[in-house]
Amino acid sequence: MMQAKLDKETFSALVIQNQETLFHTAKAILRSDEDAEDAVQEAVCAAFERRESLREADKFRPWLLRILVNKCYDTCRRRRPTVDLEDVADYLPAKSQDHTERLTLWQAVMALSGDLRAAVTLFYYDGLSIREISGALGISEAAVKTRLSRGRAKLRQLLEEE
Amino acid sequence: MDRFDEIVRERAKQEPFPLPEDYAGRVFRTCAALEDTPAKRRHASRWAGVAAAVLALFIAVPNVSPAAAAALAEVPVLGTIVELVTFRSWTYDDGHASADVTVPELDGSAAAREVSDQVRAYTDQLIARFQADCETLGEGYKGLDVASVVVTDSDTWFTLRVDATETQASGYQFSRFYHIDKTTGQVVTLADLFREDVDYVTALSGEVLRQMEERMAADESIIYFPEEFTAIDPQQNFYFNGEGELVLVFDEYTIAPGSMGMPEFTIPAEVYGGLLK
Repeated sequence: MMQAKLDKETFSALVIQNQETLFHTAKAILRSDEDAEDAVQEAVCAAFERRESLREADKFRPWLLRILVNKCYDTCRRRRPTVDLEDVADYLPAKSQDHTERLTLWQAVMALSGDLRAAVTLFYYDGLSIREISGALGISEAAVKTRLSRGRAKLRQLLEEE
Repeated sequence: MDRFDEIVRERAKQEPFPLPEDYAGRVFRTCAALEDTPAKRRHASRWAGVAAAVLALFIAVPNVSPAAAAALAEVPVLGTIVELVTFRSWTYDDGHASADVTVPELDGSAAAREVSDQVRAYTDQLIARFQADCETLGEGYKGLDVASVVVTDSDTWFTLRVDATETQASGYQFSRFYHIDKTTGQVVTLADLFREDVDYVTALSGEVLRQMEERMAADESIIYFPEEFTAIDPQQNFYFNGEGELVLVFDEYTIAPGSMGMPEFTIPAEVYGGLLK
């Protein structure tokens, strides 16, 4: 097993390379752009501080995602159980919405229940394997499969209803 | 991966995903501001506070942690067979990993000493795991905090709760509850509450599952993993609340995402009343 010794330059390059995945994941859990940006920033700082705990450099993405997911859960725990309507406006259908207008994939993903969104996002948007998602979310591979199966069925329903 | 998966992955690539306007700039600035500070290495590891003599309650004990001091302030006058002797405090800080473990030493009866021994064995195990992780991680970050609080102390019952948080990138909280039935002078676990010929695990598990589904249906921000929950542990953590109701407690991440903290379920007496000893 190779011990990763990331200097700041290499670490930063890997973060920037994965920045879209980080945002997808945080937004899928937190829904709010602002909270997602804050969580990414906190995760990057925490990961850099503890980068010695990364055992293999090629595990950087699931390792950083796991830190990010935990930061997102910390945010969920801290905040009040309310959602700012402005934060959800982009995926709530407007009253005057033309029903022939196509539902975007992201709107459909954000319509899924909270426990499904992160697994579905990592699978479809970021191409992570079941094992990688299991590591990132800290749940069993069987649980990932269950969530993907439920998410797939709901997405199929939402996208085919268009 | 089926055809539907392929179509969705293709759509994910093609449909624009709007990132906030300054997101990329913020990530860049965050990376630029990271400081590659040299590690401080300061080893300190100690057990303290083990007293030979029985101390009176509320006497200030050297090396008591702020968390323990706060807990101590809430301790009611203990019953005759449970005396607080002192706090055992173990701390460690090497600049990367840190630990603060403070647990009480109990005496006054065989049951109190038994609980004290169990708490000591449990915290010794947590400390050993912490030390092993420190060896493995080298200079990686690791944290351990253990504190306790007396949940119940009536004429008939005593419950001590020991809360632990292990931190490595993020925190993981878990607790252990220790109970003494003062009427019998016995240390009690969940199984001891019920007759041997009854299936209390199934009865309590069914109620927990029912409450999970009820709460999720009532509030979509509440998330549990009912599909991953099979049954409670026969020795599941529990306590009796101020109304004398049985409350089951689950460690973080065991039946729900970390955002839900440590879930608790108050079990109505009609679910288990007929199963008690």
